[in-house]
Amino acid sequence: MSKTIALLSAALICLLSGSTASLRAQGTPPHPDFSGVYYTFNPNAAAPAPPGTAGARGNAAAPPRPVAVIDGRAGRPETAPKLTAEYMAKWEILRKSRMSGSSEFDPNARCLSAGMPSMMGMGYGMEIQQTKDKITIYGELNDVYRRIFLDGRKPSQKTLDDPTYAGYSTGHWEGNTLVVDTVALRDDTLLDTFSPHSDQMTVSERIRFTSAGVLEDRITTTDPKALLEPHLAVHTYRKASPPNDELREFSCAEGLSSVK
Amino acid sequence: MRTCSFVIAVLLAATSALAHHSNSAFDPDKVVVLKGTVTQWKWTNPHVWIFLSVDDGKGGKTAWEIEGRPPGVLARAGWSKTIFKIGDTITVDFSPARDGTHTGLTTRVTLADGTVLANAPPAVQ
Repeated sequence: MSKTIALLSAALICLLSGSTASLRAQGTPPHPDFSGVYYTFNPNAAAPAPPGTAGARGNAAAPPRPVAVIDGRAGRPETAPKLTAEYMAKWEILRKSRMSGSSEFDPNARCLSAGMPSMMGMGYGMEIQQTKDKITIYGELNDVYRRIFLDGRKPSQKTLDDPTYAGYSTGHWEGNTLVVDTVALRDDTLLDTFSPHSDQMTVSERIRFTSAGVLEDRITTTDPKALLEPHLAVHTYRKASPPNDELREFSCAEGLSSVK
Repeated sequence: MRTCSFVIAVLLAATSALAHHSNSAFDPDKVVVLKGTVTQWKWTNPHVWIFLSVDDGKGGKTAWEIEGRPPGVLARAGWSKTIFKIGDTITVDFSPARDGTHTGLTTRVTLADGTVLANAPPAVQ
């Protein structure tokens, strides 16, 4: 008798767990797969200029930041991060240097990664490789990469004490949106390729498909020392098709002798 | 009529986020158009280089060293390592150096057969 009850109980447990698993399989769609090669573009821009004409430029319609803004002679645009007085003073030094033609405050000129969050500008394209537990993003410009851990791990103290250009990113899914937090960032990169920041900068991202093959990354940067308020930047990327779905190595040091 | 094709066209030129030098080095508000002969062609990162010998209109030649975007970007725009041969006649549009040296940053190149090489594949990227 007891053997029969045990068998029935086991059968019931099997049935229940089976149906639960089945429900889970039916009710939880798989996460989006971001894998692929992407190029940045401006979804709000007019049609790009024909190739070879004035105004035609790489990476399509991503709005170019005018040189006068990049080097600071035009001041800070409305959309620029709002800096504290301490960091405005640092920016003044930076812009004087740039206006003089110096590359002292231009990490690209030394083949360095732009670092997070500016590296997500991905001016020469990026490749995303996604697995269940990790997303790796490669950027062609300066052969950069970053990893986003999805397996629940957190940065150790050793990691926090060792800041890097890409920082340490962990993520989780909220529906079809990947939510990413990045910490352990170096303080000598430029936020938005343009603004200094402190070692207290952290970055939060919300990454999702807004339509088929169109990926959006909403990046909020927080820095209690350098920023008066969190700064939001939105990048939009279009998935590439063959033959443009192959990035090329950048090997920047190859041409270091040409750095002016 | 001067045979030398030295035309300074002040156009609304492309601004560029090119790496590896200060953007202040070149004047993005100007485009110089030069026709010349390729003397060297370097397909290298972070920038390609076109060395051009240009007729100065006085019976002599002037040497120009003009940078381009990186090989990865240009490859997607239809360029290649073998796109130019030494001795080819090409026309280069570029933003000139602010300091007046014979350098610049390409905005496009036109081959002898009229083929235009843009700085990027506009429809794809």
